[in-house]
Amino acid sequence: MQKESIQIGGMTCAACAKRIEKVTMKLNGVSSSNVNFSTEKLNIEFDEQKVSVPAIKEAVLKAGYEVLEKSKEKEITIPIQGMTCAACATRIEKVVSKLEGVSSASVNFATEKLVTKYNPDTVRISHIKQTISKAGYKALEIETKAAIDEDKIKKQKEIKQLWIKFMVSAVFCIPLFYLAMGSMIWWLRLPIPKQLMPMQYPLNFAVVLIILTTPILIAGNKFYSVGFKAIINRSPNMDSLIAMGTSAAVLYSLYSTYRIVMGDFKYVDDLYFETAGVIITLILLGKSLEAVSKGKTSEAIKKLMGLAPKTAIVIQDGKEVVMPIEEVEVNDIILVKPGEKIPVDGIIVDGITSIDESMLTGESMPIEKKKGDKVFAASINKNGSVTFQATKVGSDTALAQIIKLVEDAQGTKAPIAQMADIVSGYFVPIVFVIALVSSIIWAISGQSLVFALTIFIAVLVIACPCALGLATPTAIMVATGKGAEYGILIKGGEALETTHKINTIIFDKTGTITEGKPEVTDIITIGDISKNRLLQIAASAEKGSEHPLGDAIVRGAEKEKLEIIKLDSFEAIPGYGIRVIEEGKVVLLGNKKLMVEKGISLSSLENESDRLASEGKTPMYIAMGKEIAGIIAVADVVKESSAKAIKKLHEMGIEVAMITGDNQRTAQAIARQVGIDRVLAEVLPQDKSNEVKKLQAEGKVVSMVGDGINDAPALAQADIGIAIGSGTDVAMESADIVLMKSDLMDVPTAIQLSKSTIRNIKQNLFWAFGYNILGIPVAAGLLHAFGGPTLNPILAAAAMSLSSVSVLTNALRLKGFKPYK
Amino acid sequence: MTMLFLAGCQKSDIVGNTAKNSFKSVLDAVPDQVTVDEMNGGWSLDAPDNTARFIWSKDYSKSPIHDVMIEFDAAPFVNAGLDVSKLPEGLAYEDKIMLGTKLGNDELKYEGEATPDTSFHQIVKLYRDSIGYHEVLDHYGVDLGNGNKFEWAKDMKTNDKDIVFVVDPEIFIEAGVNPDQVEGWVYASVEMMDENGKKIEVMKFLKPFDLQ
Repeated sequence: MQKESIQIGGMTCAACAKRIEKVTMKLNGVSSSNVNFSTEKLNIEFDEQKVSVPAIKEAVLKAGYEVLEKSKEKEITIPIQGMTCAACATRIEKVVSKLEGVSSASVNFATEKLVTKYNPDTVRISHIKQTISKAGYKALEIETKAAIDEDKIKKQKEIKQLWIKFMVSAVFCIPLFYLAMGSMIWWLRLPIPKQLMPMQYPLNFAVVLIILTTPILIAGNKFYSVGFKAIINRSPNMDSLIAMGTSAAVLYSLYSTYRIVMGDFKYVDDLYFETAGVIITLILLGKSLEAVSKGKTSEAIKKLMGLAPKTAIVIQDGKEVVMPIEEVEVNDIILVKPGEKIPVDGIIVDGITSIDESMLTGESMPIEKKKGDKVFAASINKNGSVTFQATKVGSDTALAQIIKLVEDAQGTKAPIAQMADIVSGYFVPIVFVIALVSSIIWAISGQSLVFALTIFIAVLVIACPCALGLATPTAIMVATGKGAEYGILIKGGEALETTHKINTIIFDKTGTITEGKPEVTDIITIGDISKNRLLQIAASAEKGSEHPLGDAIVRGAEKEKLEIIKLDSFEAIPGYGIRVIEEGKVVLLGNKKLMVEKGISLSSLENESDRLASEGKTPMYIAMGKEIAGIIAVADVVKESSAKAIKKLHEMGIEVAMITGDNQRTAQAIARQVGIDRVLAEVLPQDKSNEVKKLQAEGKVVSMVGDGINDAPALAQADIGIAIGSGTDVAMESADIVLMKSDLMDVPTAIQLSKSTIRNIKQNLFWAFGYNILGIPVAAGLLHAFGGPTLNPILAAAAMSLSSVSVLTNALRLKGFKPYK
Repeated sequence: MTMLFLAGCQKSDIVGNTAKNSFKSVLDAVPDQVTVDEMNGGWSLDAPDNTARFIWSKDYSKSPIHDVMIEFDAAPFVNAGLDVSKLPEGLAYEDKIMLGTKLGNDELKYEGEATPDTSFHQIVKLYRDSIGYHEVLDHYGVDLGNGNKFEWAKDMKTNDKDIVFVVDPEIFIEAGVNPDQVEGWVYASVEMMDENGKKIEVMKFLKPFDLQ
């Protein structure tokens, strides 16, 4: 099975998306087809043995839509030295054009610059430069600002074109509306030129209306070309409704004009050019606002994309060479100065600094980094110069992976979207039938042809289902983008939707609730020895130990800035501890068994020892000579945010459980500290998923929160698996949500984001459906049947445009979402 | 530009052109009622009962008072309480009342002899604004100023009010007339256009005639 993402053009509503899904699903070998109207992407899964990508694209084209080839081409300008005449320029053009992946090369001899378009996947800039050098010229550093993001430009062009079309139609629509409606708005006493008084000069009036309407119809020509094409293809869409509605108005008005020419001036009252003109103008306005708002929904991802620096300083032969980011390769040694951004992922080989990784993790505090530590593209080097070895470049960097993950998530559909899709698929034909039937009924009931026509137009225009198609994907786009901004990566619409239903959360203990790194928590001494001295001796004894508890003691001493002293005769006693000599005195360091074995009395520390154990801490006894000197307790400390996060989850009405392989006593101790309700202790890693199943069997919607590696089966089994990690080490594949930083407060934040998103989607659907459910009967003349008013088609167009704008505006409100702190 | 073009293009003036044709139809329908009016320097279209007439000038430079006017018997109004002395000066003349307007002082030129029809054409040509279409009655009309009009049917075949004398009642009511007691005139509400093209309902004295 192969997966492919194809950019689609020419869609105007959810019905178009549904149509594309339908035609592609009919192809033999296609197993799933999903069109996101908002991102205008077709995500398709198919058997490459049965169907090819070109065949899929052809099916899309046949359905009346465009397939937008994603151009990876970039344009760069390379200044060149050494040209002496125009022939040199031709020569360079020739050699560069011959390179595979170069689509055009043009040298301006006067400015001494080569402008070339190339595919970075096929040819590298360095290769182009080498080719120029081989030809006998010198290629200087490229002008990086010349790099063009063609997709972005295309989008901007589309928005600009829409605005121009709207402006053109507005310029003509204002006088059109003024002339047509001015005399009716009597309280304003709007003056109308005598030569255009409808009752005095009806033909002049009609001709001017036609002249003013024509540019508006030209500006809205796409509604007609796409709309009628869709009708011919038997898949009417929003454009079809607009095209039919406004065409009916224009054709009837042209007929009225003909009657005026024939001397039947009463038909001056039956001119509806302004209806068509205002409808087109309002819808163009709606579409323009929609295009701008759509762009805003993906702002978060654009922000992420914009984080990566454009150049890197690479150390080559001991020299600093500034090169475009695309030129950097794995194993390159890169220098990053204070204040600069890390260009690619890598491992520090020299230098100490603190790095702000907030753009990746949302964590605002800079992190100390030294030799051997990992650095990530787009993070900011705060204070020291560091050199690092590139380990991941291009699409392999953590930033690129995050962008891809968010992009993929934004392309998926939430289950709630399926309902809107099903409705919008049948919507347009049903609306057409309603419009036709209601206008016929009114005509039969004795109303005039004009009245029936007004009903027909109003129903068609108010029922455009674009808001319906935007309701879900826009909210998901904003929410997933917002999540990414705070370091919460939600892997799809389904995950986002299910998260709000969670009523039980199981937290893994080690590394999730706790730091996952034992630390010295308590030091208890007997006699004259100070705590620091005891820690110093213990750390010196444990120096070089690979045991996690020994390592914790060494780190504890380092933290206190204690010097490691040289000890003699180091002896490890497996399963018990160690024995060393300090200033001629035997020092024993180990567990209770070691002390008992060596006949050291522990009676003076029995109470303390019990207390520490009850708190889930591991006591390490230290004896000097024949006497016990003290205890150093080591424990995996609870994260600062754990208790707060669990309290927040309780407030949200969610039951919280903890799962661990630890013994019941230690587990209970940790659970007490953080306020967990239910403890699942002594559970082997392979049994964790069974525990999740058991809770699911109780009818609970379960989320498992773990580090994403040991807990992978449980994460997969849970309704929502939440992986906690640094963003690079985390096993992103196994979880539905990945938390980039280790702050458990992100768990309630993720749930709250899901709740806010679902609420937002429901509001959007309410607005989208509400407009239609209320609007269609009113437009069909239901109120009029009971003595009420009818809906003017112009108001119907305004309401329809407003529905899309209100849905988008509502979705954009999610941008204001704030995480729990 | 469009407006200038339209202003200059008489062919697009459907109302003006059709008004001329329909007025000719009226004149042709009652040739005996169309006479020369020497006193007013123009032409007269008399109502079938001779109680009112429409007069239009053949040369505005020579018209003594009005270029277009209606003249009707004062008696029904006097009987309904009219105090003639309370009317504005110049309205009452002997036993008649004259309502009209001076369109201009143009010396009208004709190709050949002036006729009632060609004199009417001069109104359309020079003072097109004084010609209007009354949608509700499917009438054309000449605006006589102060809310007074003379109207005729666009199509006499389909209209039972071929000509209508329209008089604004205000000055008559102020001069003591009880509008409901004016014999031979209908006091009724009529939908008309104001100067801004706005449709308004106004009370008028109407004297309609079916010429066929």
